[in-house]
Amino acid sequence: MFNNSLKDRLITLLGRENVLDSIEELSCYAYDSFLEESLPEIVVLPKSTTEVAAVVEIAATNKIALTARGAGTSVCGAPIPVKRGIVLCFSKMNKVLEINTRDRYAVVEPGVINGDLQKKLAPLGFFYPPDPGSIMISTIGGNVALNAGGPRCLKYGVTMDYVLGMEVVLPSGKIINLGSKNIKDVTGYKLSALFCGSEGTLGLITKIILRITPQPETARTVLVTFADLDNTAKAVSEIIGSGILPVAMELMDSITIREIENTLNLGLDTEAAGTLLIEVDGTAETCRREMGRIVEKVNDYGALSLQEAATSAEREELWKARRFAYPVFAKIGPDIITEDVTVPISKVPAMIAKIREILNAHDIRAGILAHAGDGNMHPLIPVDKSDTEQMKRVNQAIEEIFAAAVPFEGTLSGEHGIGLAKAEFLPLVLDDNTREFMSVIKKAVDPDNLFNPGKFV
Amino acid sequence: MKNPSENTSANVSTNTCGKCGFCLAVCPVYSVLLDEKASPRARIQLIKVFSEGKISSSPLLKELISKCLMCGSCTANCPSEVDHYSQFMKMRSEMIKDHAEPIEIRGLIYLLAREQRLKMAASLARVGQGILPKAFAEKYQLGNIALSKLPDLNSRTFRSQVKKETAPSGKERGTVLYFTGCATNHVFEQTGHATLKLLTHMGYRVIIPAKQACCSIPLLFHGAEKQARENILANIACFDGEGAEAIIVDCPTCGSTLKNEYSPVLERAGKRSDSAQRISRKIVDIMSFVHDRLELLSIDRNKADAAVSVTYHAPCHLKNVFTPSARVLQQIKAIQYLPAEDSQECCGGGGTFFYEYPEVAAVLAGRKINNAQKSGAELWLTDCPVCRINLAGQQRDGKHLGLCHPAEFIATLLE
Ligand SMILES: Cc1cc2nc3c(=O)[nH]c(=O)nc-3n(C[C@H](O)[C@H](O)[C@H](O)COP(=O)(O)OP(=O)(O)OC[C@H]3O[C@@H](n4cnc5c(N)ncnc54)[C@H](O)[C@@H]3O)c2cc1C
Ligand code: SF4
Ligand code: SF4
Repeated sequence: MFNNSLKDRLITLLGRENVLDSIEELSCYAYDSFLEESLPEIVVLPKSTTEVAAVVEIAATNKIALTARGAGTSVCGAPIPVKRGIVLCFSKMNKVLEINTRDRYAVVEPGVINGDLQKKLAPLGFFYPPDPGSIMISTIGGNVALNAGGPRCLKYGVTMDYVLGMEVVLPSGKIINLGSKNIKDVTGYKLSALFCGSEGTLGLITKIILRITPQPETARTVLVTFADLDNTAKAVSEIIGSGILPVAMELMDSITIREIENTLNLGLDTEAAGTLLIEVDGTAETCRREMGRIVEKVNDYGALSLQEAATSAEREELWKARRFAYPVFAKIGPDIITEDVTVPISKVPAMIAKIREILNAHDIRAGILAHAGDGNMHPLIPVDKSDTEQMKRVNQAIEEIFAAAVPFEGTLSGEHGIGLAKAEFLPLVLDDNTREFMSVIKKAVDPDNLFNPGKFV
Repeated sequence: MKNPSENTSANVSTNTCGKCGFCLAVCPVYSVLLDEKASPRARIQLIKVFSEGKISSSPLLKELISKCLMCGSCTANCPSEVDHYSQFMKMRSEMIKDHAEPIEIRGLIYLLAREQRLKMAASLARVGQGILPKAFAEKYQLGNIALSKLPDLNSRTFRSQVKKETAPSGKERGTVLYFTGCATNHVFEQTGHATLKLLTHMGYRVIIPAKQACCSIPLLFHGAEKQARENILANIACFDGEGAEAIIVDCPTCGSTLKNEYSPVLERAGKRSDSAQRISRKIVDIMSFVHDRLELLSIDRNKADAAVSVTYHAPCHLKNVFTPSARVLQQIKAIQYLPAEDSQECCGGGGTFFYEYPEVAAVLAGRKINNAQKSGAELWLTDCPVCRINLAGQQRDGKHLGLCHPAEFIATLLE
């Protein structure tokens, strides 16, 4: 499929160092943070939209599969080139093109690392709210293509809520521009939203206009423990129901806390059945008032202990446990599956109980973590992918967890995406007509199924 | 070529890597090359697929593994406790078996393996330095660094300039052993004299064991584990003993090697490592030693007021294994310390890295130099001799910030 003359054309286009084709180099682009691996036939690292469009044209003319890649931190296998072909990695398109605080937008290339953008915004008193756990390395392009969320999305919303516009290279090689620099814009279909969460199956995003926001005056954080997990979850839906909107409400069960404590020795209470990390932000006065009400509510639900952070260093300490949950479980693994089912907030207590029940029934030791304030569950399941018996049990449990979310009117993924991990389960939550509609769009845009083939459409 | 299925001999465990990507965020080489193949995660993956026999040893594989500063930042930041450092070291040895190092690196290993050879080479070089025409020194380069910008060698080795044992200047508080390292012994005698001055000023008797050898890290990085073992045993023989309160190092890389690498090297060779562990517990870098005893320093107010303003570069091995000396500069209020915004970032020196991969080193050093100059300071302090050579050498003409070890600067402020 891939001959030398095509390779030579790519080299002429992009330069020798930006075209990789040895087995050693390809091995470095076969994975993301999920379990599967598949070697591409060639990897290209373009530096401009023109170069991207030229590569797409070659792929289109020769009917070669093409999979986009940002930093490769997807936890669902989204950037894995299962049909081989070309991997087009955006890491070298990493320029912040414009920051405009007056009009509150930033224009970035897709390879800009989320954390690097934050570092540029902070001195100006601004920030870009979506904060996936991979913030220090994942790219804005990857964040958009997976519509990433994060702890503070409870209050601020997910990636899509911050995308004003974008430039896209279509499978035909044509370049289109969607949206604009305007906060309000109803000129035609809101097509940029279609590309949020499209996982590279419709087009390659080569430029993004993002909405940015002034930093809040201050923030307050509290770590609360409970003797009962059900009460922990109920406290969450009670707080949300009472009209307070914290920045984040992160729930960790006792197994999660114990494993984190074993690794990091932070002095966490390993006896507590449930732990909540709650943060509010705004003016000092609102923070004080809201925190007061939150403390009341958690006490109503039998809080065992409350630890409040006064300085930003202390806040960092409280957040540390939450931030390290994923890697700590990855180490137990050696591999890890992070599930991502999401249910309406009032169903959180019931769903957590259900997940625990399913895990126990299959004798699986996993932590339960949740962005509880927005109903997003993250069971952290350490696995050894070479252990077929264990993998069978785990896959069975995951299937049951998905099925359990359905009667709660939940959904398969809150933020990690579908990728390879969940493609087969789509019919659980999307009916035939809806899936057919997605296929119609995909076929119209990418008739030869060249962009990220083998995934959910 | 070797049959891939034989690669299991490498037997390097890589299986705790969950591929989270955290290490990409801290890898200086990745930050310049922006290509996954230059990342710690990829190196770990390559070692894994090599061990599984899916790829064979090749010059490219060797390059992908070695295009690394061995700065330890990936290991220090990996939440899954992947030991990149040891895995890289083993893999380097494995690759060097099949694909020899370039001649200059082999020459270096030959020299560092024997203190005698090193001394001889240094004295020959000293003569050379004296007679080398200036034009020649300008033209020839080591990596990006013109020979003319390399520091002069000590006129005599540092250890031959000082006594084996130096008594404290005031009330005696204890005894320490001093591991001087190759750089202080042959290049930066100023660092050695300053370290001695600080220690004796604080009331310590300083013993410099005569038979000490190169710490061995260059040998380990370049696959010469057998030669390294001989040096390690020699060092253990002169540093393992009762009596001394601490073993002082002035070079963070020597320090991290003495602290963390001796036991594993001995264990890999099937030898006992209890002596190495005893040494490991006593190793401390001079600035941390000073930091923990700041009240013993008498700073002369007038000298401090007259002193230049300083900025600081934290060497990777100090930040990842010990603690950067910025805390000392911050706590001595009389010092005018102007932090650079990226004082914690890597400078790209990395042992012989700046010589082997000058294009990457130049970018890393360029960023640092820019920010250090922006700080407005008049002098740049750093604890590591390679950082010092790299950051001094990579400065282009025009404004040039001088560099020295923080111990040298602080020693000038004493009463
Ligand atoms: C430790 C850890 C914590 C995480 N925490 C979170 C979290 O809190 N919230 C969350 O939502 N996710 C989280 N993730 C998942 C992941 O980091 C995010 O999904 C992130 O958005 C992926 O970005 P990336 O740059 O790594 O993209 P990649 O993984 O490289 O790619 C992701 C998808 O985007 C496509 N793509 C990439 N760039 C483009 C482009 N320019 N145009 C078109 N398609 C493109 C790829 O084809 C692929 O389908 C976490 C992952 C890890 C390892
Ligand atoms: S930080 Fe550790 S676990 Fe994560 S990718 Fe790097 S080596 Fe693997
Ligand atoms: S040791 Fe330093 S340069 Fe080498 S892979 Fe790790 S972080 Fe990168």
